[in-house]
This record gives sequence, structure tokens and C-alpha cells, in this order.
Amino acid sequence: MRIDKHPILEFQRGKKIKFIFDGKEIEAFQGETIAAALHAAGVKVLGKSIFKHRPRGFYCAIGNCSSCFMVVNGEPNVRTCVTMVEDGMVVENQNGKGEIL
Amino acid sequence: MIKSAEVVIIGGGITGCSIAYNLAKKGVKDVVVIEKDYLASGATGRCGAGVRQQWGTEMNCKLAMESIKFYETANEVLEYEGDIEFKQGGYLIVASTEKEHQQFKKNVKLQKSLGIEVNQITPEEATKIVPYLNTENIISATFCPKDGHLNPFTTTDAYAKAAKRLGVKFYTNTEVTGIKTDNTKITGVITNKGEIATSKVVNAAGGFSKEIGDMVGIDLPVYSERHQILVTEPVEPTQGPMVMSFSLNIYCQQTPVGAFIMGRGDANEPRDLRRTSSWQFLDEMSKTVTELLPALGGLRVIRQWAGLYNITPDKQPILGSVKELDGFYLAIGFSGHGFMLAPMTGLLLAEQILGEKTSIDISMLDKDRFERGELVLEPSVV
Ligand SMILES: Cc1cc2nc3c(=O)[nH]c(=O)nc-3n(C[C@H](O)[C@H](O)[C@H](O)COP(=O)(O)OP(=O)(O)OC[C@H]3O[C@@H](n4cnc5c(N)ncnc54)[C@H](O)[C@@H]3O)c2cc1C
Repeated sequence: MRIDKHPILEFQRGKKIKFIFDGKEIEAFQGETIAAALHAAGVKVLGKSIFKHRPRGFYCAIGNCSSCFMVVNGEPNVRTCVTMVEDGMVVENQNGKGEIL
Repeated sequence: MIKSAEVVIIGGGITGCSIAYNLAKKGVKDVVVIEKDYLASGATGRCGAGVRQQWGTEMNCKLAMESIKFYETANEVLEYEGDIEFKQGGYLIVASTEKEHQQFKKNVKLQKSLGIEVNQITPEEATKIVPYLNTENIISATFCPKDGHLNPFTTTDAYAKAAKRLGVKFYTNTEVTGIKTDNTKITGVITNKGEIATSKVVNAAGGFSKEIGDMVGIDLPVYSERHQILVTEPVEPTQGPMVMSFSLNIYCQQTPVGAFIMGRGDANEPRDLRRTSSWQFLDEMSKTVTELLPALGGLRVIRQWAGLYNITPDKQPILGSVKELDGFYLAIGFSGHGFMLAPMTGLLLAEQILGEKTSIDISMLDKDRFERGELVLEPSVV
């Protein structure tokens, strides 16, 4: 879901792009964060917690809490709530602490 | 506060706690540890917590070997309800200069003669142990699988709790401000919270040991140097051993929780007991580690901090009594490796204080060896 009309703010949406999540193509707008684009596409589970492997999702939305860590273009622990989505990006759920090899 | 004690130990780091435990275990009543901040607030809680047997002098090899044997069963021996988190992933020490390569040959020969499981290996063999090691400038490496690292906080806690059960009293947030003597022997300790009458004092004050010597007018041949260290975000198990280079000035390990800890020192630091951290360290450390272990380049740094190495002219500790003052004992000058020697430090000091024959002859580690010119130079320090 995206807010299209806002009583006060005016959105200047960037151009439409596409990225890959879980092997599926997802549409997004330039200028959105990865987590926002996923949220708009109805994706709630971004990763699993490191000890009990419980689902983790969008939480602080300002890059502080680590809840939105995902693997982006092969790189783990990316804070998707403050990282802009890009055309052709490959985004994956992160299970556990992230692998660097 | 207690009025008198058999032995007063100044310093609640790993050294002080190990000495206290060993004394109490041998049946000494009224052992007191005085710590100006909290336990492990000094070098102990700030250290890399690596333990290795790959040393260049027979003395350090022996002290480390016996200490590692202790750490292997310390959870059980100290009846610790927590975990000292001893991970024996080995130490991979790389040689990137011809001088180091030759020195390591000698070291390995010595270490093998003492029964240490160690080998000098080729750069290719080293990449079987750490696949992402950049071998471009590496001539050879040495590897001992029994080396490793532990958690310095829980290890100190394990010693302290065991010591407390045996009756040792700990006074934290209490600072020793003076030592009373009648010129030839110790009579008491003055703290900011009261005085304790005693005939025996152990200086285990780490980076502040020289200041304790000054209290009794003994000029101790040690100085303190700031060493810095950082920790990264945790990732899945990636690196088995501690990777170390003397010429590149780096050591780097991955803790069981997955965080990487890495540090280095700078011999040109002003010797003023500063324990602040600097951006220069962060800059140098990141460059060195991404050069040697490129795979770690993308990791985020969580925190950096600093602590004091207490250094002697030959990089070996000063252990035992002093001739000028009866009842004054030293366990200082660990030169950056006092954590790994602590189990033996504690045992040897306890033995000496009780007049027993020490498990290892430590007479050559007295403070007067420098005056005599009998240095036992340790070549392999970072
Ligand atoms: C960055 C860094 C990395 C290191 N890495 C390693 C490593 O990988 N392996 C290893 O074996 N060693 C390492 N070391 C060295 C190791 O930390 C020390 O040798 C060891 O911890 C010394 O323990 P200690 O108990 O003697 O001293 P400390 O832990 O410094 O304890 C001394 C205590 O005395 C207290 N004190 C001082 N003055 C007074 C006073 N007047 N009254 C009351 N209390 C006082 C201090 O507050 C302090 O808590 C490292 C050190 C640093 C700084």
C-alpha cells in the first residue's frame, strides 16, 4: 500500500524500477527505500532473528534497530529501511547473522 | 572495611583475581583484593583475550602452555556457572619479512622441543586454514591449533567467584592511595575507604603498577603504552584462528558470538596513561585488516576502545618478591600478554608468597634482571 494523496504533503515519486526479491520481480519507485518498497508489495518478513530464528520485519525505520537486515546483492546486514532501492537489485531474506564468504 | 589481612592484592584484573584464588585454594585466610574501579576494568576487560603458546622464549612458552592447560578445564575447576568461552581455533601467525621468516624457524624449533603442537607452513597451506588470507606478501606462517581465545569478563568473573567462595574479600570502587612500611617491611595499606594492616602486598595494578611502586619508593622498570582495539558487527562463523602479524602490527579473531575483534599498538605513543581512542587507529586498522583479510572489509565497526600494555625492557613479566622491601610482591609488566599467562601467574605468586618451591623456576623474572643485564628478550610481540 502506498499513500497517493496526502492532505499536506505532496509526493514526487521517482520513475518506476524493478528489483528482485525471493526470485520474484517487484515494482518500486526510485527514491524509496528497499524496506518501503517491500512493505508496499506486502512483504512483511524481512529476515529471521539471530538466536531463536523468529520472523523480523520493518521496525524503527530510521536505521537504528537492525530489524530490517537483509542480504542485498549478496551483501549481508544491509539496513534496508535506510538503503535506497535500485533497478535490478537482488534482495533476499537474511536468516541469522549473515554470511560474509 | 576489614581491619587486617594476611595478603592484600592491589588490582582486580585477571592477575589479581588469579593470585587471590590460588592463595585461598592453598588455605590462606584473609586475602583481600582492592580494585579502584570494578573487576576487569583495566587491561583485562579491554584486551584481545588471545592465548597462544607460540612464543620466542622458553619461559613464555612454558608459562603459556601450562596456562592454556588450565583454561581448557577452567569452567569445571572453578565450578563456574557461566562459560569462559574458550575457543581453541588456533593462532595463525604470518611472516611477511625475511627476518620474521627466519625468526619463526627458530621459534618453531624451540616450541616443538617443548612439546608444543606447531608447524611452519607455506602460504598455500595457510589459505586452507583461512581461505581469504591475502598471501601476496606472505613468506610463510606458523600455526598451533591449540591456541585460541576466551571471554576476559567471564574468565575474570569465574576466578573472582571461586575466590569469594573460598573466603577472599573484594573491595571494588576502592583505591589504594598509600602503602605503610617501617622501611624494611610492609605494615599496611591505605585506601580511600580506610586502612588495612598487613605484612604482604601484591602489586597487580597492571598499567598503574609503576605508581604503586612509587608509593614505597621503588622505581619499577616498567612503562605503560596505549593499545587500541575494535569490535565489528557479528556474522556467522567465518574465521577459526586468531590471525596475527608482528610486522603488520595486527591481531584479529572472531568471537563465538560472531563479532571480529582486532587491535594494534603504536610504540610512538606518549607514555601518559591515556586510555582514549583515536580516529587514526580506526583508519590504520581498517587499512591493515582489509589488506590482510579482504573478506572482512565490508563489516561495520560497532565500537573501539583502548587499554594499557604494561611493558618491561625485555617484554617478559616481572614476577615475585623484591630485595628492598619485605612482603612486597610484583606481578606486573606483562607487555601485552598477561591475560594468557594469568593461571600460572596466580599459581607461581601463591607458591612464592607461601615460601613453597615454585612449579616453574621464576628467579630469572625478578625485577633486578635489568640491572644485572640478564634480559630474556621476547622477540614475538605485537
Ligand atoms: C588492547 C589490548 C589487547 C590485549 N590483548 C591481549 C591478548 O590477546 N592476550 C593476552 O594475554 N593479553 C592481552 N593484553 C594484555 C592483557 O590485557 C594484560 O596483560 C592483562 O589483562 C593484565 O592483567 P592485570 O590484572 O595484571 O592488569 P589489569 O587488568 O590492568 O588490572 C589492574 C587493575 O588494578 C587496578 N588498580 C590500579 N591502580 C590501583 C590502585 N591504586 N588501587 C586499586 N586498584 C588499582 C586497575 O583499576 C585495574 O583494574 C592486551 C592488552 C590490551 C590493552
